[in-house]
Amino acid sequence: MLEAKELTKTYEDGVMALDHLNLKVEAGEIFCMFGANGAGKTTAINLFLNFIPPTEGTVFLEGIDMIQEPLKAKDFVSFVSENVTLYGSFSAFQNIHYFTKLAGKRDLKRDDYANVMKRVGLQEDAFNMRTKNFSKGMRQKLGIAIAIIKDAPNIILDEPTSGLDPRSGQEFLVLLSELRDLGKSIFMSTHDIFRAKFVADRVGFMQKGKLVMLKTKEELAGEDLNQLYIEYMHEHPDI
Amino acid sequence: MLRDIITKEIQDTIMSPKFVFTFLLCTILILISVYTGINNYQAEQKEYSAAVALNRKNLDSQASYQTLAGIGVKINREPQVLSTVVSGVQEAVGRQATVNIAFDPNLVDSKYSSNPIFAVFGALDLTFIVKIVLSLFAILFTYDAIVGEKERGTLKLALSNKVPRDRLILGKAIGGFVSLLIPLVIPMVLGLIILMIYPNISLSGQDWGRLALIFLMFLLYLSVFFTLGLFVSSRTCRSSTSFLLLLFIWVTFVTIIPKAAVMAAGQIKPIPSVHEITAQKDAYLQEIQKEATEEQTEYFKEKERPKDPAAIALWNEEIKLWLEEFQQRMTSKLDERNAAIEREYQTKVSGQQKLAVNLSRVSPASALMFSTMSLAKTGIGEYERFLSSIRTYKPIFTKWINEKMMRSLNLSGGQQPTPELDDMPQHEFTAETFGDSFSRILPDIVLMAVLIILFFVGAFVSFSKYDVR
Repeated sequence: MLEAKELTKTYEDGVMALDHLNLKVEAGEIFCMFGANGAGKTTAINLFLNFIPPTEGTVFLEGIDMIQEPLKAKDFVSFVSENVTLYGSFSAFQNIHYFTKLAGKRDLKRDDYANVMKRVGLQEDAFNMRTKNFSKGMRQKLGIAIAIIKDAPNIILDEPTSGLDPRSGQEFLVLLSELRDLGKSIFMSTHDIFRAKFVADRVGFMQKGKLVMLKTKEELAGEDLNQLYIEYMHEHPDI
Repeated sequence: MLRDIITKEIQDTIMSPKFVFTFLLCTILILISVYTGINNYQAEQKEYSAAVALNRKNLDSQASYQTLAGIGVKINREPQVLSTVVSGVQEAVGRQATVNIAFDPNLVDSKYSSNPIFAVFGALDLTFIVKIVLSLFAILFTYDAIVGEKERGTLKLALSNKVPRDRLILGKAIGGFVSLLIPLVIPMVLGLIILMIYPNISLSGQDWGRLALIFLMFLLYLSVFFTLGLFVSSRTCRSSTSFLLLLFIWVTFVTIIPKAAVMAAGQIKPIPSVHEITAQKDAYLQEIQKEATEEQTEYFKEKERPKDPAAIALWNEEIKLWLEEFQQRMTSKLDERNAAIEREYQTKVSGQQKLAVNLSRVSPASALMFSTMSLAKTGIGEYERFLSSIRTYKPIFTKWINEKMMRSLNLSGGQQPTPELDDMPQHEFTAETFGDSFSRILPDIVLMAVLIILFFVGAFVSFSKYDVR
């Protein structure tokens, strides 16, 4: 379970990027956060992962305070970032092997890596390829494989479908559903409202650092997505 | 976990094209430098042996002590075996000095003076390769150590795990440094093997100790640039900015500070030119010659040759004694005065040199140059010690030759005796001891260690607060 309590971030230049965010993502739930660029989605993720300190509030992962005990809390979270280029001179195997070791998983074999990479849709002939020759979609898949193999109860994804083609995007959503069925709490920031509505259990809309709207899957089904997109996803240059 | 980070860092570097390029270039350069170093050393050895033999032949062929006093003894500087790795200033300074009764000895006939083309680009020795090539590679290996990971997104991915930042930077530092050492260590070991198996090259136990310290200085020097790279990389947001900043610092350290220090020392503590000093010595020589002529004329006026054949033998003996005393007195005066001029000049030169050395030591490149030259016995200090030993030898030789000249004087005419060289005093020079060399390089070791600690602590602290976004 991932929980944000009064999470606030004001940068040195005075901009309040996140304004008292209160949010709970339960086990077995997919939460999709929408918002225009600069709305505060990535700031929220950076705070969830303790990449930056909050101005106020805190984050709990499986009840562990991320601000007080970051190293302990990080055992319970996996992360997929928007633009992962990984180590270009390493093969897919070498990349996943290294990050799995960093995640503290020391008993996994080559077959385990291969299975996860297959599961995210990476072609077998790419396993030994240097990742500098990967397309953006392939790198994204490998990034997702790295997150899955950690087997953490919480998964945070920052724009994970941005580099995927329509088919891979669809496969990815199926994969997310499977992970949810395994009891994972999934927090995903995305612009892709049309695709995310198929998997999201709840969605949130952010504007100027504030969570301005929360909707369940059922409530979202009756909404005009085009209207929502126009209303909440347009840019706010002042942020 | 630390081991995983170190292993990854080494693998990542080794598999990169920049490593392959670095390794190949360093291997080629280091092997060429050792090979040319050995060839130069052997050629120098041959020249040295030939010059020593020629000098001996010259001495043996002198017809009288008078001609020997004029021609003098030629003293040659023996080439140092460690010049094969650190050529130092030995090709720029003179290799031979003539000691005779008239002139103050000086080392002349440098390799550069015999063929100035060598002076244009300098020698390609190990110090040059480490100072220029490997330090640049240290920058190339580290400029994106932190900021590059941020740009790739791998820093976020790594830190989303239970990875303490201090361990991550420590792992990156160790792994990166090991990767940087591979292009130095492997070719250097090959070079040392060549040195060991090459005929006519023999390294003593002390030489090996000196080589080990030279290698330590290389490590320290590269560590300075390596930690500097880490520091700058953890203070910047873009790898291009990091690279430009490091390049600027590198140029400042390697070229600007050493040259500026020498120029500043020249301005702060000016010294008279060599020509002025030579003119002073020449003027005094003329003065002494004039004084000697006057005194001699005066003496012979008063001391007329007796008519009585029985008294002539006694007169001859008196004259010989007086001439020996007179000659010793005049040459001593000349030597003392020359030594005083030289002492004053050397004090000024030494003051200027010390200032230049101390000012330029701010740069690790200068510290590396001075320390490795001292260790290889090819530096300015060794040259000065050798020159000083010749100047110490000069009055000893003068006293001996004066004695011989006057005692062999045949005032009644006839054949002069041929010189016997068995009791001729020999020039002696003992190279700087290992302990003294170590004391000399201690400030350089301390300076580099301080820089390494400063840069690494800087990198460590900066990374602990580094914005990974």
